[in-house]
Amino acid sequence: MNHQAFPQCHLLRWIPPVLLLLAVMLFAGSPALAQAPQKLSPDAVSMEDPGSELWRQIRQRGTSEPVGTSQVRSVESGVLINDLGERWAEFRMQELKHWGKYPLLLVIVILVVFYLLRGRVDIEGGLSGRMLHRFTHYERALHWVMASIFLFLGVTGLILLFGRSSLIPVFGKEVFSILASLSKEGHNLFGPLFAVSVVLMFFQFVRRNIYAKGDLSWLLKGGGFIGKGHVTGGFFNMGEKTWYWIFILVGAAVSISGMILLFPNFGQGRVIMGLSHVVHGIGSIVLMTIAIGHMYLGSIGSEGSLEAMKTGYVDYNWAAAHHDRWARECKDNNAVISPEQFAALIGEEPPRVSTGKPAVEVKS
Amino acid sequence: MAIDMNMFHGFIGQLGQLGKMAQPTDYPDDERVTRAKDVFGNRIGAEQAGDMEACVHCGLCAEACHFRVMTGNPKYTPARKFELIRRYYRREKGPFKWLYQLFTRDITAQDLMDWQELVYDSCTTCGRCSMICPMGINIAELVTITRAGLANAGLIPADLRAVQQEQQAYGTVFGAGPDALKLAVERMAEQGVEIPLDKDKADYLVITSVIDILLFNDTLMGTARVFNKLGLDWTIHTCAFEGANFGMLAGASTTQEKASLAIIDQAVKIGASAVIVPECGHAYPALRWAGANIYGQRLPFDVFTISELLAIQLKQGNLKLKQNPDLNITYHDPCKVGRYSGVIDEPRSVLQALGGRFTETPAHGKMNWCCGGGAGVFVINSATELRRKAFDKKIEEVDQTGADTVVMACGSCRMNFLRGSVDAKWDKNIVSMVAMVSENLA
Amino acid sequence: MIGEFIDGPLWYISSIVFVVAVVWRIIVILSFGRKKNLAKPRYSAGGGAMATILRRFFPYREFYEVSKFRIVAGYMFHIGLFALLFFAVPHIEFITSISGLSWAAMPHWAFILAAELSFFGLMYLFVFRLTNPVTRMLTTRGEYLGSVLVFVVMLTGCLALGRSHEFLRLFHLLSVELLLLYMPFSSLMHAFTFPFSRGFTGAVYHRRGLNI
Repeated sequence: MNHQAFPQCHLLRWIPPVLLLLAVMLFAGSPALAQAPQKLSPDAVSMEDPGSELWRQIRQRGTSEPVGTSQVRSVESGVLINDLGERWAEFRMQELKHWGKYPLLLVIVILVVFYLLRGRVDIEGGLSGRMLHRFTHYERALHWVMASIFLFLGVTGLILLFGRSSLIPVFGKEVFSILASLSKEGHNLFGPLFAVSVVLMFFQFVRRNIYAKGDLSWLLKGGGFIGKGHVTGGFFNMGEKTWYWIFILVGAAVSISGMILLFPNFGQGRVIMGLSHVVHGIGSIVLMTIAIGHMYLGSIGSEGSLEAMKTGYVDYNWAAAHHDRWARECKDNNAVISPEQFAALIGEEPPRVSTGKPAVEVKS
Repeated sequence: MAIDMNMFHGFIGQLGQLGKMAQPTDYPDDERVTRAKDVFGNRIGAEQAGDMEACVHCGLCAEACHFRVMTGNPKYTPARKFELIRRYYRREKGPFKWLYQLFTRDITAQDLMDWQELVYDSCTTCGRCSMICPMGINIAELVTITRAGLANAGLIPADLRAVQQEQQAYGTVFGAGPDALKLAVERMAEQGVEIPLDKDKADYLVITSVIDILLFNDTLMGTARVFNKLGLDWTIHTCAFEGANFGMLAGASTTQEKASLAIIDQAVKIGASAVIVPECGHAYPALRWAGANIYGQRLPFDVFTISELLAIQLKQGNLKLKQNPDLNITYHDPCKVGRYSGVIDEPRSVLQALGGRFTETPAHGKMNWCCGGGAGVFVINSATELRRKAFDKKIEEVDQTGADTVVMACGSCRMNFLRGSVDAKWDKNIVSMVAMVSENLA
Repeated sequence: MIGEFIDGPLWYISSIVFVVAVVWRIIVILSFGRKKNLAKPRYSAGGGAMATILRRFFPYREFYEVSKFRIVAGYMFHIGLFALLFFAVPHIEFITSISGLSWAAMPHWAFILAAELSFFGLMYLFVFRLTNPVTRMLTTRGEYLGSVLVFVVMLTGCLALGRSHEFLRLFHLLSVELLLLYMPFSSLMHAFTFPFSRGFTGAVYHRRGLNI
């Protein structure tokens, strides 16, 4: 098997073209902007049809200001028909539902094929047993809480988006009705918790994710995937930093748009709500797609990676392979611990041999 | 330091040989279990039941224990230490024992042996864990009962067992009997310090300990100087002078009762109004709190630790001290005197009366970090590495005060501090409180 | 039919088992008695008991740093759960229907806030328990089950919020009944035993001269 130092990069390289594809799909179906009124031919007989003019104004073609007024004083109370609403409904029922499943299915297929062909990416020379402390307890707990919330929101969100076409044929309408209802309640309640998690994750990890010297060379060398060059990385390598910033920025967009949708009584109109939904839908699919890759690489895809989030410690050889600058720093600070010390710290030390006989003499 | 370091090193060397002197206490496995369970069954009361029912395994106690914190090893978590007695309680005494028997393993002889390290080597029953526990569980008491169960099952660590067996058989500790006391008294008389021995009647019965007789003479001399200066009617009795109670330390109740009764009976005999306990940690609760229950009625005399007596005499205006502006001290609260017995303000009033600079360690008083040597742990050789690591915490605490001297009110702690400072090449002065007071009498 | 069982007999069985088992457990604890302490006390035991029961709601300053996450998450969970249990509209309506008692409910936004805090606190504490070597070593299967049960009760309650399907309400009620059956036999009983452990230890220490 070829050694690959930075297995994440090849996945991330797909993101720009996928995003591009999504964008193209979104806009390909959008209607032409408001059309100019047609010119009358000289042979035509002019007949006044007040209806079409009235409806044109009501649908606000050619103008962005509401043309009507109402005794009801509230957001958009002067808007009788929201023209963009139909466009939004089309987007949600057609483009988003139709194309949204492809990134998710694609990434799963790619990972399955990759795993079958390549298997787990192992550390050259194997693991040493000597460990470095990488993540504090708070960081690990925060990550897993955030991940659980994310998974729950993902599943309930997918049920809400795809359920009618995918689940009704399987479960029938009554059962799906229950599923949809509980998904909506659950998704709404846990949404703000995800927003809080994004904020906490931002503050906890931002310092270590600032792009630094060496990151560009990581990228130019394709993360070690292209060619055989050695790639360098600090506490987080460039691939991880990129995932962090996508998570924070897209996660923030998903959270904010979610909050706009969740609390509709702050003066936002249907246009903003519709736009929020578009951002929410696309953003969450982007996050889920990359998260699937992240989960793969953090578990079965790469030897020694899961330990970081499980115990907080990583093997020294793993660190040297993926984050050589950080590993060297730890070594210089005498922070490498032995396998025995590690076993004691995580509570897996073998019990002291105790026989009840007089203690062995210890030199004082 | 006013002690003989050669004697100190000799003493440490002798501690290393203790294990060889212990008589074996091997029983068949099932008998060990029965003997341990007998003690558990007798000693579990409503308080212990309430405690064991309340633990939710939150793990906070692990953050208060010097052994767990300084080694990082989860097995030294205080809540784990009483797991054995909890399992017994749930299976055989608790409200749903018929249910728990289906799901909970019975305790085995191997469990008892595995727990020896947890309740002896790595627990000084200092009680700091009870300060952090949100349920207020008295973990130290549960560990003490577990120790008693293990002791009855013949599982006292050999070094500790050797001394307990000696005290049971001869009433002495480390071979220091009446002759050793008399020799020490003679030596002190040569230095001008009179100690009245074996008076038929006296107001104060003062007890001392083998450590003060053999090693920390300055403590005994200081006590004598203070008593003589105050003009108090006091005596030490050659047949009831040993304050150290290795029955209590080992969990052997027969030995504990024997040692305590020797002192109580003597105090009654001479009509003492008070028994004064020397600078020793556990000797104080042995008499002050456990004594009456052993005697079967309220004790007809008061029990004071020496720092209490000094504070009382100071407050009454009898004790006059010279101010010493050069002093730069901090104080180490012995766990059994401070957190366990409530004697926290008294030593401070005495030390503050000496003038100079007195700085508290960040955690002090009832929150004090244990030095790691109490409850007989300083005698257990297999705990040497544990003690050394735990002591690093005290070094860190004292260093933060900027003091050059640590004042001790317990011989075990002082021994542990000396040993720790030699190992770590730590340069602080380790002094006895009463010795320091006696050098500053006005 | 199952719905009738959950609304009817199972509710009665689980409530009765809960009350009887909780009371029995406390009676047995007290029945072990306390030996008379003949040593001369410094202060009263009773005063110490009450003071410690109250004081232990807050950690000591020396322990803030090491306990902050557990204490904050713990209070988020417990206070949130308490608010949900006793001041949420569906619960008050339920209690009114069986007892006639009623009181003011909290507004909807407070309900949502309490639910969010409670969930976050519980999830954080559960993950904390799984990822900390100390609690991993200490925690038993029964304790994991208790945590999961409480979470399921809360989650099913949240999922039934829309009050749109009888099935979801019954699912929530069933999980509550399972929790009622399980609670007295588990360490969830700390809800009732904490005054005893705090009180007894406070009494013992106060007698010896210490406020803890």
